[in-house]
Amino acid sequence: MGSEPSLVALMEAADCGSKPAADALFSALYVELRRLAKHELARRGAPVSLSATTLLHQAYIEIAGREGASFPDRNRFMGYAARVMRGLIIDHARSRCAQKRGGQFEITALSTEAENAPDCRELTRISDALDQLAKAEPSLAEVVDLKFFCGFSFAEIAAMKDVCERTIQRDWEKARIYLHRSIRPDLEM
Amino acid sequence: MSAFSPEQWQEISPYLDHALSLSEQERAEWLSDFRAQRSDIANLVEELLEEQRALSQEHFLEGHAQQPLNEDALIGETLGAYKLVSRIGQGGMGNVWLAKRVDGRFERQVAVKFLHFALASQGAAERFRREGRILGQLRDPHIAELVDAGVTPRGEPYLVLEYVQGHHIDEYCDKQKLGVDARIELFLDVLGAVAHAHASLVVHRDIKPSNVLVSGEGEVKLLDFGIAKLLVDDTSPAAATLTLEGGGVMTPLFAAPEQVTGGAVTTATDVYGLGLLLYLLLTGQHPAGTDPHSPADLIKAITDTEPRLPSEAIALEDGQGLAQARGTTPEKLRRQLRGDLDTILSKALKKNPAERYGSVVAMANDLGRYLKHEPISAHPDTIGYRAAKFVRRHRAGVALTAVALIAVIAGLSGTLMQSRNARRQRDAAIRERDRANRIRDFMTGMFKVSDPNEKAAKEVTARQILDKASGDINTGLAKDPELQAQMMHVMGNVYTNLGLYDRAQSLLELAIEVNRAARGPGDPETLSTMDSLGGALVQLGRYSQAEKLQREALEGQRRALGPEHPDTLVTMGDLAGTLAMEGHLEEAEKLGRETLEKQRRVLGAENHHTIVSMDTLAVILGEERRFAESEQLEGEAIDLERRVYGPDHFGVLMAMANQADTLYLMGKYSEAKQLLQQTLDIQRRVFDPNHPETARSLYNLGCLAARDSKRDEAFSLLGQAIDHLSPRSVPKVDNDPDLNSLHGDPRFAKLVARAKQRVVSDARCPL
Repeated sequence: MGSEPSLVALMEAADCGSKPAADALFSALYVELRRLAKHELARRGAPVSLSATTLLHQAYIEIAGREGASFPDRNRFMGYAARVMRGLIIDHARSRCAQKRGGQFEITALSTEAENAPDCRELTRISDALDQLAKAEPSLAEVVDLKFFCGFSFAEIAAMKDVCERTIQRDWEKARIYLHRSIRPDLEM
Repeated sequence: MSAFSPEQWQEISPYLDHALSLSEQERAEWLSDFRAQRSDIANLVEELLEEQRALSQEHFLEGHAQQPLNEDALIGETLGAYKLVSRIGQGGMGNVWLAKRVDGRFERQVAVKFLHFALASQGAAERFRREGRILGQLRDPHIAELVDAGVTPRGEPYLVLEYVQGHHIDEYCDKQKLGVDARIELFLDVLGAVAHAHASLVVHRDIKPSNVLVSGEGEVKLLDFGIAKLLVDDTSPAAATLTLEGGGVMTPLFAAPEQVTGGAVTTATDVYGLGLLLYLLLTGQHPAGTDPHSPADLIKAITDTEPRLPSEAIALEDGQGLAQARGTTPEKLRRQLRGDLDTILSKALKKNPAERYGSVVAMANDLGRYLKHEPISAHPDTIGYRAAKFVRRHRAGVALTAVALIAVIAGLSGTLMQSRNARRQRDAAIRERDRANRIRDFMTGMFKVSDPNEKAAKEVTARQILDKASGDINTGLAKDPELQAQMMHVMGNVYTNLGLYDRAQSLLELAIEVNRAARGPGDPETLSTMDSLGGALVQLGRYSQAEKLQREALEGQRRALGPEHPDTLVTMGDLAGTLAMEGHLEEAEKLGRETLEKQRRVLGAENHHTIVSMDTLAVILGEERRFAESEQLEGEAIDLERRVYGPDHFGVLMAMANQADTLYLMGKYSEAKQLLQQTLDIQRRVFDPNHPETARSLYNLGCLAARDSKRDEAFSLLGQAIDHLSPRSVPKVDNDPDLNSLHGDPRFAKLVARAKQRVVSDARCPL
């Protein structure tokens, strides 16, 4: 770890509104999650796809262990990490779009899951809108990161944040209204 | 309007919170109150709530964003003879890739499925390959072929499968708006494939909509046959089933009870899976209901809760949408499911594997029977069920028997009200109400009595229903002897129509006895029952006994009801017929004409009894050898009755047979033969094969064949007839002049011997 500030310190600084700390936290987590994912892939053997949920849990366990007793609550970590996960996913989607345009291959969707998945342009728009929402009402953006990008259920998110499930559901509905308003002009193009 | 500014959002956010926590109705109230204070915000909030409803409906953001991991690195990688082309899906058990055969032997696209687990040892990898090869031997046009099974150098097992494009069967059915029968027909292909696999000792273990694809051409293909077994860890099968999906807990939506509890997985497990799939196809929902389930709740539902009957399940859902996707209305859909399909699915979905269909073929057979409107094998063995089916298949025949019986019984409670005097009317009304209830109970019981002995019977006959009911009548209605006797009377008449004259006789004798005790010997019901008994006795050849009864009845009816009462007239007509049988033709004709004239006046020309009297008079005229008159009158009777009651009516058949007799006596042989053949065709369709009237047609056709010296044909027809002729016709055989040409043939002697045997046995068991 050396002289690098610990994740705990970065989180605290970010919580106090330090922009550089938030950026540093983001890239630290990004690196961390990528490393974990690679490690996991190597261990299982490709092409097993990992769920984002698994990855976040693993990241938390590893980082919390490393940072020792000083590590803050899991809830806050998940909030940050989920946003990072979103970043990973967007990156991935963008690279996929690039490949598609290159005509390398065409995905023939068999499962409905794949059919319903939004395309990379839409994902990018959602991500931008989420950044705005994170400024207006951060807790709502977090719910979307955890649910849509990481695949946690309402019950899991509620447990993580120690609130009741209905609150999470309400936040989710509100967030959807906000996001839809934000990206609708684009969707109608 | 585009995105919110942070200020804007801050302003409306609390109101949205509040509104979202209210129920629909509370919301409307709150909004209208709030509009009075802040109409601008209230309007915006209302608009947003509308939007939110729409978003829920289109499942906005409810899927998952793509997985972030870069498995695309595999593109171009080669596994054995196959080169991976692209990832085409993520199944429950692992990722699926489209691959191309590249060893140059032949062009072929396949699907490569990587399984989400690592093989623990070299032994496990061996077992995987071996099992894979066994599955590869399974060939069926409706089963996706397993081309190969292997393990990557990194130790990850994979399967090479036939590449199938299509929709999940449930989506396909909804998209095509297939009706219930079309869905079942498609499903029968699935059953056929599974049955084939079972014959090769392969159990699917994981039947669910996503494993049954239908191509654009409507061809069914089953995926993943037996593959679930490859994933089962021998030490803990139940755990494996529940943890298949990427190490997470699988929601065992399509698991059979024994899969959840760790019981043995057998072909019965597939029967359950198939039942579940069909349930889903027909009702659009899972038997455990549509509510979201936690795995624990679902397991409880699978192991403990009896599934709702499909016909009831659709009532709980959006019936309109479900029905539309099946090209019908909710009510029709419910009716289609109710009964056989409820039964078939309940049997397939039994918790106990031993209570399910013994094989997929048995299930397919029942569905096939359902499609053909035949009785299915699965059922709580109640007579009522079979009766319902019998009615549907043999409308005409049953119309004369069981249905007539029901109609008459149902009509009883009304007619009983008549001939009560005013003083007793109030008491009577109460009694009649109780009586109506008793009739209803008795009828219900008649069709619902569960009879374990019936299990083996292929089909229930109207006679079985009747036998059951006449057996119950002594016990079931003993408290109400008047009603009991009346029911016996009705059933006795039905026995007569069925050609079971001895049973009719014993039941009618009993009815008279009960009636005499309960109502008195002069009561109209008692008298009418006596006439009916006379009718049965005529068929048994006991003419003088019949005549005596009918005369007594007629006298009583004239006194009690009057000379032109419908009941009096019926007895008059019957007596005329009896007299004709005895050869008292003059009196018979006089009485017959009087009856017909009065009935035409009192009941109308098209009344059934009037037409029967036309037939009776025609027979009398025929006996008098006034053939032209007889033929004319009988022809009118046949036309009238056909028009009023339909071509298969019992009365029409009687009149046709009588007309054929007359034609024969007139020497119009070919006309007689044609009419007899026509009669026989209908009789075969609507009567029990042993009905005496059918035998009569066969016998008369035999006489015609004998006349033409077609001996073989004659003996064949007579042989079919002889054991079932009504007792009154049997003694005729010995010296029937129409059979003279057969005398001397040893077969004739045999025939006569059989007839004599009949007379002896009939006499020995008079019942």
